[in-house]
Amino acid sequence: MEAVDLLVLLDSQQFRRLRVIENLLRERKTVSTLYWGQRYRLLYLLGLAKKMSRGALDLPAQALLQQGLIVTGETPDQVRLTPKGEQQATQAYYQPQTRDTWTRLDLMAARQRILLAVQVTSQYAHETKRYYPLATDLATRQAVRRWFHQAKGQSLPGHLFVSLKTALEQLPEMVAEVVTALFTGYQQPGQTVDQLARKYQRTPWEIYLMQLDGLMQIAQDAQDQNHPLRSLLQSTWQSPVSRSAQQTLAAVGRGRSLEQIATARRIKPSTAREHLLEAAILMPVTAFPYDWILTPEIQHAFATALAGPIDSWQYSALPQALQERYAFFYFRLYAIWCDKRGVERA
Amino acid sequence: MLESLESSLEKVFGFQTFRSGQKAALSALEAGQDTLAVLPTGAGKTLIYQLYGYRHAGCVLIISPLLSLMNDQVDRMRVAGFRRSAAINSLTSYSERQEILQHLADYQFLFMSPEMLAQPQMLHRIKQLNLSLLVIDEAHCIVQWGPDFRPEYLLLGAIRTQLQQPLTLMLTATAGRSTREEIARQLRSTPTIVAESVDRPNIFLDVEQVADEPAKQVRLTQLVGQLQGPGVVYFSSKQQATETAIGLRQDTGVRVAAYHAGLDSEDRFKIQQQFMAGQLDVICATSAFGMGIDKDDVRYVIHYHLPADLESYAQEIGRAGRDGKPSIAILLYAAGDEQLPLFLGQANRPEADTIQRYYARPQAFSEEDAAIALLAFYRRHGISETAVINLFTRRERERNRALAQMLAYVREPHCLRHNWLQAFDEQSPAHDEQCCSPAGAPVDLAQLGLLATTRTAPTVVTGGWTAQLRRLF
Ligand SMILES: [Zn+2]
Repeated sequence: MEAVDLLVLLDSQQFRRLRVIENLLRERKTVSTLYWGQRYRLLYLLGLAKKMSRGALDLPAQALLQQGLIVTGETPDQVRLTPKGEQQATQAYYQPQTRDTWTRLDLMAARQRILLAVQVTSQYAHETKRYYPLATDLATRQAVRRWFHQAKGQSLPGHLFVSLKTALEQLPEMVAEVVTALFTGYQQPGQTVDQLARKYQRTPWEIYLMQLDGLMQIAQDAQDQNHPLRSLLQSTWQSPVSRSAQQTLAAVGRGRSLEQIATARRIKPSTAREHLLEAAILMPVTAFPYDWILTPEIQHAFATALAGPIDSWQYSALPQALQERYAFFYFRLYAIWCDKRGVERA
Repeated sequence: MLESLESSLEKVFGFQTFRSGQKAALSALEAGQDTLAVLPTGAGKTLIYQLYGYRHAGCVLIISPLLSLMNDQVDRMRVAGFRRSAAINSLTSYSERQEILQHLADYQFLFMSPEMLAQPQMLHRIKQLNLSLLVIDEAHCIVQWGPDFRPEYLLLGAIRTQLQQPLTLMLTATAGRSTREEIARQLRSTPTIVAESVDRPNIFLDVEQVADEPAKQVRLTQLVGQLQGPGVVYFSSKQQATETAIGLRQDTGVRVAAYHAGLDSEDRFKIQQQFMAGQLDVICATSAFGMGIDKDDVRYVIHYHLPADLESYAQEIGRAGRDGKPSIAILLYAAGDEQLPLFLGQANRPEADTIQRYYARPQAFSEEDAAIALLAFYRRHGISETAVINLFTRRERERNRALAQMLAYVREPHCLRHNWLQAFDEQSPAHDEQCCSPAGAPVDLAQLGLLATTRTAPTVVTGGWTAQLRRLF
């Protein structure tokens, strides 16, 4: 990531922690990372750069600092845009249209599958028997092989062409160009992200976001019964909530207490609480049983004790008696609940 | 009674005749003799074990040090029709590895990295297989010493013993006499040697001495601007390859890309395919580049940095002119260039007293240090302190000898080809103006027919993205 890629992830009001952004990109899903990811409205970054090294944002952040585009907060890890930075951040940078849905798909797996499926179908359309397939992992190869075995036929190439065209037409012209140029197929090795970045004078990261946007659009379209990639991509749709957290949540739905759940599932009560927070953050407000856990009494207690904007709330600043009565879990859940309902201050 | 080698060749590959070296190697293997095949790049070394695997039941186990390229190798096997092929190395995901292990006995060709094979559980699994052939690919890695050095290669002798000395094929593109002896010694084998001449008469050899680094950049830019492509420029560092690619693109207008092991597999794939499809004129590469390349018309190979030894050099320039047409190998040298391979070689080499102190109190050292990690590796595999000290001493000597030989090539005043071939115990043809140009001697690129006559215009994509998408299907 380059400085400008980081710049557009920052805000002029809210101090944002670099480590949170880094952990989102690297898919380190702690509750704290998820909570702040939600607060920054950056959860779509989850797992987009799993191989990124620790501290990889430090250099771009330094560059922004030197150019006077950001300032640091209480710790050097917290940064905020300066007016000059805000002005630069609003300059043309691609905002993926589909990003709100990214956590609902295993986008990396879908990406691999679509790219290989396009290559395989393209070579098939031109009756090439021997060619080098894109290097992918075994799971992708098997999924594409199964799909192709069942989907192949005279009409497949034409059908796939029309479907891809329809998906890309819903996006800006340049995104359609980028996604197309990145495909590999018959007599088209495909451009690399760096090559396209040079061609369009954008950063590689921005090109990558464009590609993901295009692929997400394709995946969304592929939910249609008649889409040729439907069966290939079906298994890449996923709940953003981990299986384990889903199980805990289901048990709550059956009326169990956290302690009962923890004992039954042989997990620590603290883990059960983390599961619930994870689910609350990643699910729509209506899908989580806030009312069961946050009783009117708890709601009232926090509403009375808390003041100011959400991001300034601190558990340790609450009255001692309240802290003793309600664990951090309830405090955090209350904040999530407020956030999800668009309540920004107490 | 097995069918003849020629019948198998015809059946599997549709060829009538073997390329030189292939038949000799196969015949030796068929006679049950371990074989060291020293065959130049492009001679079709893989065909030897492919055909052997086809003719014999069981599994061909290929040990290869080139992690990042192993999957390419498997793809090439599949393209060639050998579908029961798989690779296991540290880049293989856990689930994929489990999947392969479950069906281990079903594979006809297994590629494995030395460190994977060195793991006791893995070795245990491999022992249960019916191995028809053990292949040590890039066998010169046993002897070479550099940043890519893999200590596990030194365990291969012991591993081979544990596997009950299976029939073994050692493959390398270049190995002089001492390298051949060392390979055989390390692998505890007395192989039949099949060697083809490394000479490539259509490659003009050129050494150019330049004043310093900036002068080298200028000369490189000039050469890339003048020479008929496609070409490859080799560097010792990823960063330099990347930066120079950017510079050359701006200064010469030719289509350039960098290629090194740091790129992800998708980018490597694309750049390789673009180069093969003629969409790139020049690749700025590290030694990671070349294996997957079946490109006959590479017209020049330039070395920006001094290679660590003549063997790597021979292998890399061997990528030029496979079509037999005039080509050139240029080595750019500035005084002091030998410092880089020296430094790279020393990077993770522990001193003798470090070795002694480590063996006395291993727990006092951190394995974060590459040199200590190396020692820990040997110690865990039961190699004694004395043996390790000897090993490093011998290796150091070998490396210095190799570098001195490389420098002797650079400083050769009369005939580079003579110098080069002598290092491989070969006779050279008489020098003429089509042969070489040592440092200081002028080289007439026009006379040699190596100047660019046509510049390929960049491929113009017509019709926008819809048309491009249409062309895919
Ligand atoms: Zn000569």
